[in-house]
Amino acid sequence: MKWPTSKLGYTVAGMTVLAAVLVPFLLMGLFTKGFTKLGLHVDEMYGGGPTVRTIRADGYTVTIHREVYPHLLQTEKPFVQLDWKPVSALPQHISDAVDVDGDGQQDVRVSFDVPKDPKAPLRVDVEALNPRYQAMRNVGKGKFSELIVRVDDAILVRVPLTGQ
Amino acid sequence: MADAACTAFAGKTPPRTWSRALLLTLPIVLWSLFMSMQGLMQHDRSLQIANALTAAFLIVLFFMMMKTSSTYRWRRWFFVALGVLFPIGFIHNVMVLRGSMGIPLEEMIAGRTPFCFLPIPLLILPAALTKTLVFPGSLLPGGGMSGAGMAAMAGLWLAITLVVGKGWCSYACFFGGIEEGMAALPKKAQWKKLDPRLRLVPWAVLLAMVLLSLALFEPAYCMWLCPFKAVSEYVAARNTVGMVQNGIFVVLFAALVVVLPLLTKKRTQCTFLCPFGAFQSIFNKTSVFDIKIDRTVCSPCMLCQKSCPTMSLSDESIKKGETLMSCMKCGACVDACPKGAAVWHIRGTQVAVKPERARLMFLYAAWAVAAMFGGSIITQGLATILQRVI
Amino acid sequence: MGGPFLFGEAFLLGLASGPACVASCGPVVVPSLLAEGAGWRLNARYLTSFLGTRFLGYLLFAAVAWELGVLVSPPPAARTLIYGGIHVLLGVALLWYARSIGRGCAHACAGSGLVSIGRVGKRSVPGAAVLGLLTGVSLCPPFVAAGLRAAQLGSIAAALLFFAVFFVATTLWFVPFVGLGCVQRNASVIFVARTAMVLVALYYFLAGIAMLAGRRIYG
Repeated sequence: MKWPTSKLGYTVAGMTVLAAVLVPFLLMGLFTKGFTKLGLHVDEMYGGGPTVRTIRADGYTVTIHREVYPHLLQTEKPFVQLDWKPVSALPQHISDAVDVDGDGQQDVRVSFDVPKDPKAPLRVDVEALNPRYQAMRNVGKGKFSELIVRVDDAILVRVPLTGQ
Repeated sequence: MADAACTAFAGKTPPRTWSRALLLTLPIVLWSLFMSMQGLMQHDRSLQIANALTAAFLIVLFFMMMKTSSTYRWRRWFFVALGVLFPIGFIHNVMVLRGSMGIPLEEMIAGRTPFCFLPIPLLILPAALTKTLVFPGSLLPGGGMSGAGMAAMAGLWLAITLVVGKGWCSYACFFGGIEEGMAALPKKAQWKKLDPRLRLVPWAVLLAMVLLSLALFEPAYCMWLCPFKAVSEYVAARNTVGMVQNGIFVVLFAALVVVLPLLTKKRTQCTFLCPFGAFQSIFNKTSVFDIKIDRTVCSPCMLCQKSCPTMSLSDESIKKGETLMSCMKCGACVDACPKGAAVWHIRGTQVAVKPERARLMFLYAAWAVAAMFGGSIITQGLATILQRVI
Repeated sequence: MGGPFLFGEAFLLGLASGPACVASCGPVVVPSLLAEGAGWRLNARYLTSFLGTRFLGYLLFAAVAWELGVLVSPPPAARTLIYGGIHVLLGVALLWYARSIGRGCAHACAGSGLVSIGRVGKRSVPGAAVLGLLTGVSLCPPFVAAGLRAAQLGSIAAALLFFAVFFVATTLWFVPFVGLGCVQRNASVIFVARTAMVLVALYYFLAGIAMLAGRRIYG
């Protein structure tokens, strides 16, 4: 049986009104869940990549993230992120040699002061003990791939990779 | 007298009686009260008052739409309120949480950048090709200003778009009301001659921004061209380029959202820049509601074209009896048409046969989402003001 | 070492890098293709011109870099200067291209030739060729990746051949762009394409100036 197009039009219009009522109760939740199930993730250039290992130090921990490689078009360098936390337990000055790749050899020596004022700017020096990692001198938070920042109760340092 | 009344409303739906208008408003009364129930039960007095005021505001506006049988000027009140109160609520939250409208790098790293709907078209290609969202937010609620998360905003956008199509730009966009308010201020337009090709610029912006976003893996429009950074937030400038970018936002806001709407009485940012608007235009092809011109009645006097805030009626489209893809379903042309030739319409039905039915069905759908989404934003903005006053 | 295995490697590297090449050239190729006339044949001519000079740019840069001994890793400062300079030139070329379309398309947008942006002697220079050359010499990451590998080969001839095979593989990803020829061209499409070119040109120009001035653009 062929429905006149006007009946179809009114039917769809009626369904649209019903859909409007269902937006807060069903549709929005459905689509939100659908988006989360797509397997999307925020670009690791922002988030720093998933954690790989945690090293325990004197009352604080150093968390090492997986190396982040920019997509071929991004101008940022590949980097590895290291987190020192909690900030409240950190000494006034940090100078830690870190085994980043877990091979038992120290790869970088990271040095920075921990100011009392949480809003004070941070600066970091990184000595590259392994040529895979790039040395940094008095670096602040200029680029996503090379920085030191305080995020909540952790101080994050991103050390660029040289590509060797 | 009766003849004069008939002539005045020739082809147009006449105003309704109070009782009839009230009856038609009843579903919206129930809906608005239901939407504000949670807010009314809050212990925060300013939030309670704000919820009550918002519900009353939306109910009165819908009643007036029913009583007067006109749409545009009442909808505009809602939309301007949304455009003005959103920045108030948002900037207040930002200042409380961060002390600055500038987004510091730390917040981007922590995934606490709030996600608005504007970058949605820019994220599609990188997400489709690499499963990566090139936006420093959180997929789920991430605390701070991240709100309900990117997935929730995307889900909300899709749900509302399914209902109203490009009507998003008239009933949901929390930025467009500012320029709509500016455009309403002057009695007459100072600049009447606008090159109709400028209507196509949003498509060019969309094309360029989509391609650049894929090439650079960043939301290029947000980084370079969004004028609404001036009334929400922006990436805190860390170098000269950052300052140039922020300068561009301020200049575009001043020009396209304040000055040009005052001079032209058009929504110039929407008409001449917004790439999201161009993207939403695609959904006008899937929407069951549209606006048609009954050519048997049309003079043509071109009042519809003059009244359209987004230049969505060209000479050719009027001859064809339809609006352009960019039509936001604001109702300005329908209200302006003296002959009732411009009418609300449901696809598949005959043009100008029971257009009021089409209008009612559209308005119930659009006002339902407006009350849910826009209403909550208006409430937040009002509550922010009341907290200072009470 | 070498022979089919090596060039198989070049081909696979090219195939893997192809999407990145397409994405990085996209802002240049798509608007300019849309601004050309309709028809898959004309679009194929555009792509041939674009890719041909892009190939030339690749080989030219590879040869010069090999001679200078910097194919492995161009010094960062030089790289920024080159990248910035190319960006500025690309911006200028795109603006010139957009202007040239405007002049040629006053009445009919279905011309049988490619848009020309200049003359060398009696021959007109297609805009596609200029854009292709500029994108070819820009140090985009896929190019750098290929350069790193090519630099490890024993001779310049092998390096150039490696680049050539790499290039052919990346080119395969550009073939679908011929489909843009099916998009109907009218005054509106041309206007949108030209305006998009201007916007992209402005970005490249600003980005190039910023790089030359030593300023970072955060992303």
